[in-house]
Amino acid sequence: MKHLVRSREALVTLLLVLLVVVTGLFNPNFFKAASIVEIFNASLTLVLIALGEMFVILTRGIDVSVGATAGLAAVVLGTTLNLGWPVGTAVLAAVLAGTLAGALNAFGVTFLRVPPIIMTLGTLGIYRGLMRIITGGSWIENLPQSIKEPNLWGFLGVPFFVWATLALLALTAFVTLRVRLARYFYAVGDNETGAYLLGLPVRWTQFAAYTLAGTFAAFAAVVFTSQIGFVSMNAADGFELKAIAANVLGGVSLTGGVGTPVGAAIGALFLTAVHSMLIFLGVPGIWDNAFAGIILLVVVYVDYRVRSALELQRRQARIRGDAGGGA
Amino acid sequence: MKWTRYLRSWEFALFALLLLELGVLGLVNPVFFNLENLLYSTLDFTHILFAALPLTLVIITAGIDISGVSVMGLASITLGLVWVAGVNVFAALAVALLVGVLAGAFNGFFVSRTDVNPLVITLGTLFMFAGLAQGMPALLDKLGFKAYGSAGLAAYQYEGITGLPDAFIALTEGSLGIVPYPFLAVLFFALVLSLLLHKTRFGRYLYLIGVNPKAAVYSGVPIRRVLVWAYVFSGFGAALAGVMLTSYFTSARADLGGDALLPIITAVVLGGADILGGSGTILGTLLAGMILGFLRQGLLALGVTNDLIQVVVGSLLILAMATKQLLHVYGEYRLKRKALSSRDGR
Repeated sequence: MKHLVRSREALVTLLLVLLVVVTGLFNPNFFKAASIVEIFNASLTLVLIALGEMFVILTRGIDVSVGATAGLAAVVLGTTLNLGWPVGTAVLAAVLAGTLAGALNAFGVTFLRVPPIIMTLGTLGIYRGLMRIITGGSWIENLPQSIKEPNLWGFLGVPFFVWATLALLALTAFVTLRVRLARYFYAVGDNETGAYLLGLPVRWTQFAAYTLAGTFAAFAAVVFTSQIGFVSMNAADGFELKAIAANVLGGVSLTGGVGTPVGAAIGALFLTAVHSMLIFLGVPGIWDNAFAGIILLVVVYVDYRVRSALELQRRQARIRGDAGGGA
Repeated sequence: MKWTRYLRSWEFALFALLLLELGVLGLVNPVFFNLENLLYSTLDFTHILFAALPLTLVIITAGIDISGVSVMGLASITLGLVWVAGVNVFAALAVALLVGVLAGAFNGFFVSRTDVNPLVITLGTLFMFAGLAQGMPALLDKLGFKAYGSAGLAAYQYEGITGLPDAFIALTEGSLGIVPYPFLAVLFFALVLSLLLHKTRFGRYLYLIGVNPKAAVYSGVPIRRVLVWAYVFSGFGAALAGVMLTSYFTSARADLGGDALLPIITAVVLGGADILGGSGTILGTLLAGMILGFLRQGLLALGVTNDLIQVVVGSLLILAMATKQLLHVYGEYRLKRKALSSRDGR
């Protein structure tokens, strides 16, 4: 029970289920399988970006350029496709662009020692500027059908991209739990000096985190380009902040070393679901941001209260234990 | 001996950089040697300064406030709505500034009462304030303020509220001699904040909290109250920026200032404030903000596109920080070498 109370994933999942039930009672249409699948489908972009951001936050860093990176990767994808490149090559180019953008952040943070928020704020401006310079400021339209096709594929009534994202999530969850190299993210974020003294490659772990954030942002770019079918200059605008919010909601701590991929994904799903639910509840879409902000504040505040209450309990138990016989 | 210390300070370097920049821009385009023109062009970036100056206080405490960009829009739409309701425009201005103060107090409350990272809290309020600003016209309609036009206040949501009185527009159009009022106000604001930061106990507390919050608690600093005030100043500054933009664009909009986050934080960091807390000056932020503002103006005058300017500003931020950090690392390395060699000598 105590474990459940302490787990942010559980708290947010509970909140999500509660909201779903309330929305469903208000508007039974919400319970149709199609609406649920639609929410999953709409959340993919944020889930992918948040997963990448998670690696950075685990190492106690922050990356506010992931939205711009996704935008840049989408522009590379759209431009190369319209140049007549085959889909596979274009996707590869986009992923490579995102990875490189992430690696540039990584280089700045690990080798130039620029504080993460400054480095990525700088590249946020650079990548957004580059997007417009590459395209001349106009949207990329008339993309070939081949890129929109995968969005129409499905299995058991669930779109291909949902399956792909779930598979990637499962893989990430497994790797971060079971693979030694991936545990380095947690070690470095929890205690950088300790990790260094143990002989872990601290700088390279951080390097990998920022690079992965870029790669995942590029995955997101591929998904939303396929879903929407064009690339606007505002593509993924503001997603850097939403990705951070999703991670915090899902229990990935900004103080490093705490959090799971499933938590980050649930946080992202939650933020997207709020949007759909408000529509079903008949609240205009303009209230999205206000609700997202209030929920984020409530969750971190409740979490703080629970943590301090548990800490107090633990201390009192220790005092009683010491008085009772020193055990 | 003492004056050489000033020559080596970061602020002096910024001052020299500012003069150099104006000189180069002036040689390329003589317009920049015209003082009146130069002062007039500050109107395009005074809102950055209004928000960046008090943000310096917050960053000195090792905090951050990214919600300011939303407070700008919130203050602007509040001003417009209160004015539409028939209140004198200057009273509406006061209400807008009050909203900024309350927004800052809200941030400060959560930051000082919990151990949650200020970035998370102001991220939450960034969304919340932006949402409030967007939703407020429609909300007022729902609450029964239907009297204004057939489409209700919701119509203002996208178009903004225009037709503000001339006396209000004159706040940014007017000037004292050749100095525009907003720039004058920024200088006054900087002076007040500077005195507060460098000449009062409150200011010293801010630095102490930034360097070592535990030491601050144990030495009896009213840490919660000091933090709340720092965020209140930040909210107030953002509201001032919103009001100034409203007057400058002659329209009250909920989405004003949305793209100002990068230049605001760049100004504070380039001004010498350490994002990890404990250092920074108001003068530094003022000078850095002016360097960035004039750079933008200069590049625009040279025909450089807005997009490329974004790239330049971003690169500048990274380069400046990287240089500072690497110099710091090199300095430590030299100190260690010196210590080693003096030990070997013995």
